Amino acid sequence: MAMNPMEQFAVKPLIPLHIGGYDVSFTNQSLWMCIVIGAITLFMAMATSKRSLVPGRMQSMAEISYEFVANMIGTAAGEDGLRFFPFVFTLFMFVLFSNFLGLLPGSFTVTSQIVVTFALAAFVVAMVIVVGFIRHGIGFLKLFVPHAPWYLLILLIPIEFISFMTRPISLSVRLFANMLAGHTLLKVFASFVIALGGAGGILSLLSVAPFFLIVAITALELLVAFLQAYVFAILTCIYLNEGLHLHEHH
Amino acid sequence: MIATDATKEGTEAPGGAGFPPFKTESFPSQIFWLVVTMTFLFVVLWRFAGPRIKGTLSERRGLIQKEIETAQESRRRAEAATVAYETPLFEARERARAINNQYREKAAEDVKKAEAEADANAERVTAEAEARLARIRSEAKTHIAGAAKDAAIEIVERLTGERVSDADATAAVSAAQEA
Repeated sequence: MAMNPMEQFAVKPLIPLHIGGYDVSFTNQSLWMCIVIGAITLFMAMATSKRSLVPGRMQSMAEISYEFVANMIGTAAGEDGLRFFPFVFTLFMFVLFSNFLGLLPGSFTVTSQIVVTFALAAFVVAMVIVVGFIRHGIGFLKLFVPHAPWYLLILLIPIEFISFMTRPISLSVRLFANMLAGHTLLKVFASFVIALGGAGGILSLLSVAPFFLIVAITALELLVAFLQAYVFAILTCIYLNEGLHLHEHH
Repeated sequence: MIATDATKEGTEAPGGAGFPPFKTESFPSQIFWLVVTMTFLFVVLWRFAGPRIKGTLSERRGLIQKEIETAQESRRRAEAATVAYETPLFEARERARAINNQYREKAAEDVKKAEAEADANAERVTAEAEARLARIRSEAKTHIAGAAKDAAIEIVERLTGERVSDADATAAVSAAQEA
């Protein structure tokens, strides 16, 4: 086992595959994405198999996540935002399960890959732009014109435009960096445990300290895993709200 | 920058030079499989899981609503039954009170009437007694006057040997009585 804390993020081909000149090999990352969606599908299948009136543990969790996302959209994007529920729900569940499953020792964290988070974020912003133009036509560009005197607009319009255009970056880097940093930290402290444990003598006893730190950081990472999924989903809702309602308050 | 820190941190992984997430050669594969898996997941959640959860939730909400309505209906019925039970009871109590009052008034009237009768009786008896007393008293006076006249005639006759007339004796007696 290598001690490089970055090694866990390496993408390694498992089954070589080429389509149209592109290398689309089935990698460990592809495998873990399949595990993630498999876990979600299994979870949903188990949760909705009984459809009992008084929900069991699984059904309750599925219903809570459903209502959590539905309430989030309703609050952030209004009632007509609920049309995007399947999309936001998919996004939230995917990011949440990726983050959680990534905490399993020896697993691969899908959301620690910048290209994955960037693709998701870019899709969200692209969708907002499409929805905005469909809803408001050219009037969607009013999104970049805040209520301000004209001389301030010279300054504000470019700022609004840039802040909008950098959204894919801020949205993706936030999730990516959180996952990357957390997992790197865990790996670094884990290597301390092994290094100290292997050093012998009094140093072996000291290895208990980083071990307990790992336990604490793992608890923190569980919180971060949920929080980042939530942040990703709620920002998606807020951006969707702008596409649907521009700057008006619904 | 991070990559160099990382490589300094531990021993070199086999073929692991550089920062893995920024290695562009895996990007097509990552995006391809992301699209494949996300599409699958989207369809699963959109077509199967979502509607099923929604169905269960709305079913439960509907049932709870129905149960609440049934409970309210039962309560309404219970309240109506209470009213139906209490109204005759109240009416009966009112009727009993009315009858009670009626009899009490009648009794009071009877008592009053009897008292008045008794009073009248007593007055009548008293008046009769007084009348008789007065008669007896005046009779007694006359008797006394007669006896005094006879006695006076006799006394005068014995003393003087003269016989005074009845009229003179009566006058003398009444004069003496006056004095």
